[in-house]
Amino acid sequence: MYITAASTISHQPTFKNAGFSKSIEPLQNNSELIIPNFKEYIDAGLLRRMSKILRMSVTAAKDCLKQAAIDQPGAIIVGTGLGCLQDTEKFLNNFLTIEGLLPPTSFIQSTHNTIAGQISLSIGNHGYNMTHTQNTLSFEYALIDAGLLLGEGNDNIIVGAADEYIELLSIIGEHLHVKSEVNLTSGASFFLVSKEQSVKSLARIKDIETVGLVEDIEESIENFLTNNTLQKSEIDMVLYSDFYDIKDSGQVADFIQRFDVSSEVLNYTNLIGVYPSNSAFAIHYAVDRIQDNNKIKTVLIINRLNKINLGLTLIESLEA
Amino acid sequence: MDTLKEDLKKHIIEELNLEDLQVSDIDDDALLFSTEGIGLDSIDALELIVLMEKYYGIQVTNPDEGKVAFLSINTMADYIEKRKA
Repeated sequence: MYITAASTISHQPTFKNAGFSKSIEPLQNNSELIIPNFKEYIDAGLLRRMSKILRMSVTAAKDCLKQAAIDQPGAIIVGTGLGCLQDTEKFLNNFLTIEGLLPPTSFIQSTHNTIAGQISLSIGNHGYNMTHTQNTLSFEYALIDAGLLLGEGNDNIIVGAADEYIELLSIIGEHLHVKSEVNLTSGASFFLVSKEQSVKSLARIKDIETVGLVEDIEESIENFLTNNTLQKSEIDMVLYSDFYDIKDSGQVADFIQRFDVSSEVLNYTNLIGVYPSNSAFAIHYAVDRIQDNNKIKTVLIINRLNKINLGLTLIESLEA
Repeated sequence: MDTLKEDLKKHIIEELNLEDLQVSDIDDDALLFSTEGIGLDSIDALELIVLMEKYYGIQVTNPDEGKVAFLSINTMADYIEKRKA
């Protein structure tokens, strides 16, 4: 599966900023979402009802279509860990405080599949429309779905992931004694993936694997590489997330230490913050690095944001 | 009556997230559900029903009544006055 376009809206200057990977630094705790001019992408009539996650997702998806010069994708597939939190919170607050009729908008838009639905409505798409919500592996499952659809003859699929921060998450984090260094953020990364390579292709997704209730992470990585006839020494860059390896801690997880010293190793959660589908950002980061540096040919993304889940994604440059 | 119309406009702007509109932008006789007026849609109609109960204690249970009442700010204000009389 080839990546034809990529777009990310996040707390970093990622949107419409090819080459962003060269300049971004680890996020500071007081970072804020960098908001593009949504009105350039979304009709005012639709925009007024949209929460943050919907605005980010529709804009990033439309940006992908624009980059690829495609009017209608063959399908729209979205992964989200927590879905439309802003509308869910609003609806539940209404539910608890209003006696009588409840306002319908936040209820309608509180469901996870609103994201893919709103993308579809905003472009008038009648194709396959699917939402995957599998905690921190939501995006990987969306990608697997996209790969299967491409195999069935569908083409030029919009696949992406989004999650949004609301203040309640910090309050819950405090109750759960989450370290204050952990940045809870919002982000949306979308891609247009195609079956065949074209002049617009940016990179190739060679393989994706998910492991739920992972027991031996090193063995899972070894097996994944073996299935792709790769040695650890052939991986040019390892992008990983580890909730417990927060910035400046000086700790690096065991499964990372086993990689060849020549491999560049980076915890992408330090760059983008914590949200359940942040592995989608890692793919965009990998694509951006591959575009910028022709020595990077093979990138392994290890999603271990939630330690019971493991997501493995292999990205290759077009020359690999 | 004028105060009622002003209040109605404020509530509509707030509840329907009409971010780009000010009270002064809405004419009293502008058609709420026409693209030449405010351009509201069917979800907004539901929001207006909720708004009527929330702010004015009026339940709009007859769809035919709602169709006439929600034509414009003028008709909404008339409907509220009649129901409260």
